[in-house]
Amino acid sequence: MAGLNDDAQWIVLMGFVVSFSLFFLAMLLNQSTLVGQTTAEGVLDFPKNDIRDVKDVMIASSQYSSDPSKFAIIQEDITALALSRKGAVVTYTIISASPTDPHTHISIHYNNGVTEYNEYWTSL
Amino acid sequence: MVNDSGQLYTIEGIAAALIMLFTAYLVLSATSVYTPGDTHISDMQLEQLGTDALRMMNTPVDNSTSKSPLQDLLYYNGFEGQFNGTGFNTIFLNYVNNVTGSEIDNAPNGLHYMATVTYYDIANKTTGTLPLYANRNLTGGEHPVRVTEWVIVNKTFPGGGGGTDGKLRAVLVEVLLWRD
Repeated sequence: MAGLNDDAQWIVLMGFVVSFSLFFLAMLLNQSTLVGQTTAEGVLDFPKNDIRDVKDVMIASSQYSSDPSKFAIIQEDITALALSRKGAVVTYTIISASPTDPHTHISIHYNNGVTEYNEYWTSL
Repeated sequence: MVNDSGQLYTIEGIAAALIMLFTAYLVLSATSVYTPGDTHISDMQLEQLGTDALRMMNTPVDNSTSKSPLQDLLYYNGFEGQFNGTGFNTIFLNYVNNVTGSEIDNAPNGLHYMATVTYYDIANKTTGTLPLYANRNLTGGEHPVRVTEWVIVNKTFPGGGGGTDGKLRAVLVEVLLWRD
């Protein structure tokens, strides 16, 4: 390589460094648009309010469980509406208070295909 | 006579300074890239606000009554297929717009909603939806969230069934809520 002019080696090297770092920064920027996507989806997909609401209405309906004809209609409403409007299979059974056991027991089942939730609720 | 042999270096120095300032600006502004995750944060906030408002409306105001305001508004003297929509509008907007130190008027926060009541039609084995109230029509360009509340109400709904003889029905109040 004798006689070859190598004055600009540093400039070429720095050019490579700058171009690679720009490429790296572009990749970072590209990835940043996806930040939080799965987190937010996970929070939104989890039916926190749906489960709370349906549990509340089940507890509210338990005060009519002593009258089977009234209660059957409410229970049918809840099951049908939860399936058609919430896309969730909801079933529940109530064991009413009795002289031997003053507590009301509700067995709650909720399943929207992604989240399944079961609870055995006992009144105070 | 002033020596002017360094003019080109001066210009280069100024150009370099400008490039560095511009780079610093780019780097600082890059941290505020609006990602899809950020849009869901405001959705979650709006969803919680609406859910809380409906839940407050579905709670009896004190122990002198067992009916909540929402049950009263849906009952509306038992008229079939009709609800007290203007009453719902007043209370709901009051709750969702209630902020510290501000007069409550019509949607100061730019919150709009469309509320419906969904019931189970026993005769036809389908679900039906009746309008409750809307303070703005949905045109399709909005980005609403849906909030719901279950209500047990003593009322007749289309399709008859149990409601005709004064039996209780469970219905779903659905509210599409958006901000513009």
